[in-house]
Amino acid sequence: MGNSVIVRRLGLLAVLALCVLLLSLVPFMPSYYVRVVDSILIYIILAVGLNLVVGYAGLLDLGFIAFYAVGAYAYALLASGQFDIHLPFIVVLFIGAAAGAIAGVLLGFPVLKLRGDYLAIVTLSFGEIIRIAINNADDITNGPQGIAGLDRANLFGLPLTSPVHFYWLLLVLTVLVCAGVYYMERSILGKAWRALREDQDVVRGLGINTTTLKLLAFALSAAIGGAGGVIFGSFQRFVSPESFTFQESLLVVLIIIIGGVGNIVGVIAGAVVLVVLPEVLHFAAQYRLLIYGVVLVTVIVLRPGGLVSPRFNLGFIIRKVRTLWLSPSKT
Amino acid sequence: MALALENVSKHFGSLVAIKNLSLSFDVGSIYSIIGPNGAGKSTVVNMVAGSYSVTSGTIKLGSSVLSTLPKHRIAQLGISRTYQNLRLFDGMTVLENLEVCFFPQSWLTFLTGAKRLSKAERLEICHACLAQFHLSDVADVLAGDLPYGRQKILELARAFVTEAPIVLLDEPAAGLNHTETKDMAAMIASLKRADRAIILVEHDMDLVMSISDRIDVLNYGELLCSGTPDLVRANEKVQEAYLGTTEELDDIRKLAQSRRAQGGLRANAGIVRH
Repeated sequence: MGNSVIVRRLGLLAVLALCVLLLSLVPFMPSYYVRVVDSILIYIILAVGLNLVVGYAGLLDLGFIAFYAVGAYAYALLASGQFDIHLPFIVVLFIGAAAGAIAGVLLGFPVLKLRGDYLAIVTLSFGEIIRIAINNADDITNGPQGIAGLDRANLFGLPLTSPVHFYWLLLVLTVLVCAGVYYMERSILGKAWRALREDQDVVRGLGINTTTLKLLAFALSAAIGGAGGVIFGSFQRFVSPESFTFQESLLVVLIIIIGGVGNIVGVIAGAVVLVVLPEVLHFAAQYRLLIYGVVLVTVIVLRPGGLVSPRFNLGFIIRKVRTLWLSPSKT
Repeated sequence: MALALENVSKHFGSLVAIKNLSLSFDVGSIYSIIGPNGAGKSTVVNMVAGSYSVTSGTIKLGSSVLSTLPKHRIAQLGISRTYQNLRLFDGMTVLENLEVCFFPQSWLTFLTGAKRLSKAERLEICHACLAQFHLSDVADVLAGDLPYGRQKILELARAFVTEAPIVLLDEPAAGLNHTETKDMAAMIASLKRADRAIILVEHDMDLVMSISDRIDVLNYGELLCSGTPDLVRANEKVQEAYLGTTEELDDIRKLAQSRRAQGGLRANAGIVRH
């Protein structure tokens, strides 16, 4: 074993240690920064979820925030004084995910035959329909006033009240979601989705039911969106329709496009950039959309594949680490 | 197991592409469907595979009727195919192109008790298939990065990897050079098995004549003649449909001569080349 291997292993350890250090330092930062990190993590979860549909299966969904809304309102209705139902957070988390999945299948059925632009338009409308429905269902959702005073969440007796608590919860969930999606990407299901993206007809000719395949993508992705919504609701303890506008859907799609379509590492990078950017540029808040536009055009012109190269994905990193550790002679 | 077309017709609007066609393909042989352009060869393949619906008549595999089933169900019953124009998953590796064929047909296997391949078994089959088709060295290369000839071979491998009893090959030699076509013919001939029917649609007569057990000739959507290569070669109607009658041939020669005479220099250039 040569010196260089030891150096590289130490380098790897240093990088890992730095990541762990940075992540464990977050709780000691001022509350504002913790909130920003929480926000990044929520958007990572959402974008990784949406990436299942957009990145892997190649179906452009512009109404993703509707599932987020379904999750958030699930918490608002089932854990507040609204109907005096007070279910525990963890139960609502699963209900929110299930409700999201059902909404995903409901959206999936009518759009099965649509592709490209047509699909984008219908999903966009779906997102708006959900928001407007919530806005008008005064008796259930209080309409535009929203629902306030949601229950303080707690997880098996541990209170979830401060941004730091949510930071730990979100961190664990982000890792779980990324690991789950990575596993799916590598499984035969992920391969079938990628094949679907390339040539739907041939996929059917191989004996694969593309209807199931698409609905599965919509349902799983929407379930992740729903779960994200439940956390959002319990974190804000207030929900109103204006949190779920088309701009939010667009932001999640932008995260994927700017980071790197179909690439979890890219999506994480995209979420960091697009959540931090408006915070840094707070003084220019009214130019937010303009800045997004400039960033998007710049990325598309300079790096059409996204900020992170498609080759630099989670699989690549894992392979690199594994070979360096198990059989360094190969590197 | 046999594939049978019974009185099948296909109309595209007012155009009759296939007229009352009855054909039967039993496992254990290689069949070729030939005919001039527009004779309806590819239409037959597309109907069997479920890409086109039939206008009337039935297509059966064994006792099950295919012509009313959705495309993926037809494939699940044991019909696989290649395409006239290459249709690989370009952004996936060669190995993944085969692997995806083993996507579970049902998520309810734990209920029905049907056997489901493990990942290791799946990979073993795919690697064996790659070796058989001489593609092992490019297993991890993106399919879209392969040279054309090898892409054709990969599409062939994808049609055979699931051991489907009926394999439809739509112009396997299209775009291949002479040597590649010969290799392709040898490859297809080596894939002949007692539990498999291979059905070719092909323009390359050398390939068709050298490997087919039976040739079905279509003309204007009707079966012109059917039999061994020798029989078909000797059939006058086939020669007419393909080459024209001897009188027509004479006409063509005369026309060509008069064109050359008028063409002056250009005609001379042509003659010099001969």
